[in-house]
Amino acid sequence: MLRPTLTLARKDLKLMASGGQGLIQAALLGLLLIFVFSLSRPAGEVVPAQGAAAIFWLASAFGQVLVFNGLYSLEELTGARLGLLLSPAPRHALWLGKALAGFFLLLACQVLFAPAVVVFLGQDILDWPTWGLTVLVVDWGLVALGSLLGALAQGQAARESLLTVILFPLLLPLLLSAIKLTAGVFSGQAPEGYEQWLGMALAFDALFSGAAIFLFPFVYGGEE
Amino acid sequence: MRTTDAPMTKVLPLLAALALTAAQYAIWRYAPVEATMGLVQKIFYYHLPMSWWAMVSFFIVFAASIAYLVKRDPRWDRLAGAAAEIGVLLATLALVTGSLWARPIWNTWWTWDPRLTTTLIMWFVYAAYLLLRSAEAGGARGPTVRAVLGVVAFLDVPLVFYSARMWRSVHPAVFGAKGGGLEPEMWTTVLVSVSAFGLLWLWMLLARVAQLSQAQRLDALMVWDEEDR
Amino acid sequence: MTPPLAHTMALQLKRAGKFFGARPVFKNITCDLPAGQVLLVVGRNGAGKSTLLKAMAGLTPLSLGAVERHVPLERTAYLGHNTFLYHRLTALENLAFWAGMYGLSPSKDELLETLTRVGLARAAYEQAGIFSRGMAQRLTLARVLLVRPDLLFLDEPGTGLDTASLAVLHREIAQARERGALVVWVSHQISEDLARADLVLSLSGGATGSTSGQGWSFGPASAYVPEASC
Repeated sequence: MLRPTLTLARKDLKLMASGGQGLIQAALLGLLLIFVFSLSRPAGEVVPAQGAAAIFWLASAFGQVLVFNGLYSLEELTGARLGLLLSPAPRHALWLGKALAGFFLLLACQVLFAPAVVVFLGQDILDWPTWGLTVLVVDWGLVALGSLLGALAQGQAARESLLTVILFPLLLPLLLSAIKLTAGVFSGQAPEGYEQWLGMALAFDALFSGAAIFLFPFVYGGEE
Repeated sequence: MRTTDAPMTKVLPLLAALALTAAQYAIWRYAPVEATMGLVQKIFYYHLPMSWWAMVSFFIVFAASIAYLVKRDPRWDRLAGAAAEIGVLLATLALVTGSLWARPIWNTWWTWDPRLTTTLIMWFVYAAYLLLRSAEAGGARGPTVRAVLGVVAFLDVPLVFYSARMWRSVHPAVFGAKGGGLEPEMWTTVLVSVSAFGLLWLWMLLARVAQLSQAQRLDALMVWDEEDR
Repeated sequence: MTPPLAHTMALQLKRAGKFFGARPVFKNITCDLPAGQVLLVVGRNGAGKSTLLKAMAGLTPLSLGAVERHVPLERTAYLGHNTFLYHRLTALENLAFWAGMYGLSPSKDELLETLTRVGLARAAYEQAGIFSRGMAQRLTLARVLLVRPDLLFLDEPGTGLDTASLAVLHREIAQARERGALVVWVSHQISEDLARADLVLSLSGGATGSTSGQGWSFGPASAYVPEASC
């Protein structure tokens, strides 16, 4: 299972890096979001840590939608989806491969978003270990569900805008955890119930990774 | 395949009408007026059954979606669709009545109450689900796409509920203990009202399922007519 | 591992049926397809040829009945209108990717050799996006050859090919057959392709007036009489 997963992820990263529109679009939209929100900050005042955290994760969530839309549309242009489905690679490997590629692409976007939050929203990353942990745990939840629902957009099944409407409310528990933990990173004080929020994010990761493994074979099929 | 179950569709609305009349009587005549909240508290007898049956509807979407994925029988897809429609309707009404209640009692239209938040989030998800349905997204794969969504949406409910509760616990509480102790007559009224709404709910669900399968049969007939030409 | 013997079953259809909503595309198709044969699937547009092929390949579930494949997925290949190529990868990278998905790890020389076999040696380092239809289809053929399939699905593979590319295709179909592969071939050029086939499955769709009354017929290619339509 690992071999086709890595083969797929490597191919996707190569294609996205060589001018895949999803990645650039995601990065630009996220940066724009952070910049626009910085305009709402009254002169001479700082954006509260929790507000800045919310903006960061909103940008990431939008970025994730665009990234997965790009990743799955790669397979549509010449019908390669049929080829993937016909290959002996188990379908879970396809989900995992896409999730893995999406994970790195999302991280790449966040490498741009984080300094933007520091510059435009006047934040400081004070707690690096928590920051690293938060990003890894929350990003996995984002891509686990993103890779499952992104596959729904294949072959015009659902337009991205519609997908956003469905995805965002589902992401709410994860985003709340992310905002709480990140606010702690920006303010330098561990949030109240730190373990519980981390636990919530981990529970989200586990639940939707499991659900995706069970459901993905239904979602990703040969029909138009 | 008979799609209308005559006794069910005739007897059920009658029973529902009788039960709802009884519930009205219980709400306005039998149950005492609550001491601190006054008449406004009566909204509770509508609000509770609505949110309750909305959640049951969403559970039916979940169960029917799993059944569809296993059996691939379009009847399960139609049941999920009917349940989602009724669920969204009841959730809307529950949110409106909840808000009307919160205004005089908690002095706010909206509060970060885990139950309210969960209902609102579910409302968003299932409204999108219905949008996907009406757009006939996915073509031949549409039912599968919807079924997957029906499963994922319901799995999220406990997480949404707990995260909403954790979020609130760090905020100052807007209100004190909710409702307080209910008197025995009030409990009886709640039970009557929940059952009455249940009958109405069941009738609406069955009627909608019957309607959807009739529509499906009509579609099939139209296809054949076109082929004969 | 013994090579598949002639006349071992490669694929069986058992009362296979497919519906779109309430509309039947085909139904009740039963036939045994032995290894080492070329099956031509014919029928007019919309008769359900491609749908049947997809169902045989397991890409779309049947509504009724069953399809039994006796060849593992590792030895199954598909060649259709869709090239499965990634435009921003070179010919070589495309080939290496699909090899990886099939769990194969061919050396670069092996990949180049396969490209030479389909006449693409000089385009190995070109991006697939600039390829003509014929070149793209040749690269697709190279992808299929890499797998050395025992079960090969072809969905009108000759569309848009020049004579030279067509000759390469026909050569490889014949070689696959000799090796003991079952080739399932959806074709429009019945008059041309009939000579290369052993068996014919003819679909007449859900429409009325089919010759056999059941919407399909199956038999040896030598006994097949093309219908007047198309």
